[in-house]
Amino acid sequence: MCYAALGTDTGGSIRLPASYCGVTGFKPSYGLISRYGVVSFADSLDCVGVIAKTTKRVRTVAEVIMVPDARDPASASHALRSNASSHSPRLSAAHLNGLRVGVPAEYFPSELATSVITPTRRVLSALQSLGATIVSVSLPSTPYALSAYYVIACAEASSNLARYDGVEYGLNVTVQRTRSGDTATRSYAATRTQGFGAEVRKRILLGTYALRADAFDNYFQQALRVRQLVRDDFNKTFRSPDVRFMESPPAAAPDQPDVDIIVHPTAIQPAPLIEDNAKQGLDAYVQDVLTVPASLAGLPALSIRSESSVGDRRGWPIGVTIVGQWGSDDMILRVGEMVEMSLRS
Amino acid sequence: MVLCLRSCSHGLFSTSRRCFSSVRSHQEDKRWPGWQIIIGIEVHAQIKSRRKLFSETTVPLTGNLPNTCVSPFDAAFPGTLPRLNVQCVALATRVALALNSNIQSRSTFDRKHYFYPDLPAGYQITQHYSPFAIGGRLVLPTEAAVPVRIKQIQLEQDTAKSIFDPRRRETLIDLNRAGMGLMEIVSEPDMRSPEEAALYVRSLQGLLRAVGASDGNMEQGSLRCDVNVSVNRPGLPPGTRCEIKNLNSVKFMMSALSSEIHRHIDILDSSSSVPQETRGFSEQTFETFKLRSKEDAPDYRYMPDMNLGTLHITETQIQNIRETMPELPDITRSRLQKQYSLHPRDVEILLALDAEKDIPFDGETGGPSSAGAVRYFENICQDHGQGAKEKPRDPKVVLNWIIHELVGQLSARHETFTAQRVPSSWLAELIDMVQGNIITRTSGKSLLRHILHNPSEESPKQLAHKLDLIALRTEDQVSSAGTAPPAGDMDLTAICRASISQMPAEVVAYQAGNVNVLNKIVGHVMKTTRGRANALAVKTVLQAMLDGN
Repeated sequence: MCYAALGTDTGGSIRLPASYCGVTGFKPSYGLISRYGVVSFADSLDCVGVIAKTTKRVRTVAEVIMVPDARDPASASHALRSNASSHSPRLSAAHLNGLRVGVPAEYFPSELATSVITPTRRVLSALQSLGATIVSVSLPSTPYALSAYYVIACAEASSNLARYDGVEYGLNVTVQRTRSGDTATRSYAATRTQGFGAEVRKRILLGTYALRADAFDNYFQQALRVRQLVRDDFNKTFRSPDVRFMESPPAAAPDQPDVDIIVHPTAIQPAPLIEDNAKQGLDAYVQDVLTVPASLAGLPALSIRSESSVGDRRGWPIGVTIVGQWGSDDMILRVGEMVEMSLRS
Repeated sequence: MVLCLRSCSHGLFSTSRRCFSSVRSHQEDKRWPGWQIIIGIEVHAQIKSRRKLFSETTVPLTGNLPNTCVSPFDAAFPGTLPRLNVQCVALATRVALALNSNIQSRSTFDRKHYFYPDLPAGYQITQHYSPFAIGGRLVLPTEAAVPVRIKQIQLEQDTAKSIFDPRRRETLIDLNRAGMGLMEIVSEPDMRSPEEAALYVRSLQGLLRAVGASDGNMEQGSLRCDVNVSVNRPGLPPGTRCEIKNLNSVKFMMSALSSEIHRHIDILDSSSSVPQETRGFSEQTFETFKLRSKEDAPDYRYMPDMNLGTLHITETQIQNIRETMPELPDITRSRLQKQYSLHPRDVEILLALDAEKDIPFDGETGGPSSAGAVRYFENICQDHGQGAKEKPRDPKVVLNWIIHELVGQLSARHETFTAQRVPSSWLAELIDMVQGNIITRTSGKSLLRHILHNPSEESPKQLAHKLDLIALRTEDQVSSAGTAPPAGDMDLTAICRASISQMPAEVVAYQAGNVNVLNKIVGHVMKTTRGRANALAVKTVLQAMLDGN
């Protein structure tokens, strides 16, 4: 229908649909594409990204829009970008000799459907056949990432959605004037109750709670600590440093092999069926479990198409994600392109 | 972007809010004997920047129509993002330096959430967890030189204005003010009377204006105060404090404090305890009223603003600001006294006059409108113009001309002093003519009046000739000067001679020993010359003529 599409990805909203639909989805490093004009959901997580049929197309679009923008205060400078790419490994056009690929044990949780494991293996063998070395790595904070993500994302969303109060933005539900004079307060309540859907209301309430003075330390603050642990996990695993935080690099883990990219399934299962969707509760949140760590750490993540060859979903598309160090976007797009070519041939 | 914002600042504010200075001994106040009053003040001052704190919008000027100085960001339009105006940081840093506050190399911005129609985003961006300046002091200009400690200074956004229209029973919103830069200056509870509170606010106002950081104008709302007050028995722990919000004049602040102190004492006298409250002040009844109790206190759900990240202020930047900021009033005061040997009283008058100057935007210097009375005075004292070889002008004479003649005549015309009304080079020329006896002092005053009344391009010297104000000289002066008097002018000797001949009776009386009658003859000469003669010179000439007869 189109050459490529733009999207936003806060916790996986580009990568998951791409995985389910069998296309390529790319969430760049946080700060590489301007957010100016994007309606904020969670400012520290929101990324603009690209969806297209192939990585080649994604790269063609991304190369144009990955430029600094003074109107986005989180936009990375030219200097920071070139510093990051100077730390990225140089790739040959023909092979991936010397590229080290990490497979994190924590990304294969019990919820993981067997139908997503074989597609991941296909990608790993493609990488191996291109000359890359596959090693097992550990990202121990992964199990806590999802809860931290929901606390942070909901807290930021509760703040960002506060402007839809019926005065300038959102519905305006008028209420009867009463003697008590709290017309404004009641109007806000009525407007926001009616204007937001059930899921949005739930998240706003969760975020509002997490920011309360008596809950802040246990929820929001705690979530920020977990976020730092997630970031530290990645930094200990990647060979190149996170140039955004060069002042305070985490202590090196001697037993951890350094890698250039990390590969894991994008989702814990193929696209859910409509009839399954109706009865899900917490399951909908669990779907994000594999995509949120890269969001929390602000790292580039590319979901490429692979296929399930076993089970009742045989032939269904499944995404496999390549994650790189902050600012290594160009490198992971090139790796993705080569893997795609190799899978097709 | 640094995201772990709180961990670095944690612990800074864990000290008790009410750790008041107990070093000062209690002084009995006749108004409330046996009670000690403890006052702390939060001052919100608009930063004098041309643009708002986080947007490119030009700030509103008096006369701008409502909702005309608004960018999409100021209106919290979805999709917009903040961008810090560094001029606001520089101006606030001047204040921090002037208050000897500790400027933080890293500080952060936070969102303070509440729903109110004048807050379009539903939150205000402020510096709650990690303000850019911590500590400092302001010494009150009293004999005791009371030091008031500063707790912190933070940058934050101003809100919009809501105006209630009682006729239509509607609230109207004007977004012009939304997003303007404010500094919140928080004092420790170091003041002990409404008078000290007033002195603190006035001194702070003067300091803000002197460093060019704010207009500090309470009437126009560019400076607003929240005060907190508690009452206790001397020697016992401080009482429960109440905060009075949004006071917009020093007079109202003092009334609010007095009213609140008496209210506390009445409660304590009846053996009840004062509930912790936030209160307002009614300008009709001059009393405070309850806004909300401690239980109703809103939870602002402070959260780090993830867009703005960390504000870095380097030592080099601080040094640059220190070197380029205007002189502080205390330093100007002692410099003027020392350099020009002026009387302290005259220095105060000059400083008060200087304090009325317009504050330029963004701390800009130069430009005639930003020059105050001090610069005007020093220009006249130091700039010798054509007479560079001559001795410098007498500072006392210069100051007299500025304070008594120029400002005096301006206030008679209901005008205030500005440096460009009469250029300093003109007043200098005028003073030189008077001091050099080219015109008399009386003529000098008339000349100044003429300049104020008839603005023109002509210099005082040209005008003096044109208006026939050149002082009349005696025969001796004319011959020693070697230049002829202007055509048509008689010399002073001839005029005196004529007067004597017209007043034979007075001459007889004088020669009979009535010395006082000489003044009458002098008056006649002065009248004839319309103030162009020097009275003393006339008297000498007349005496010589009459005594010599």
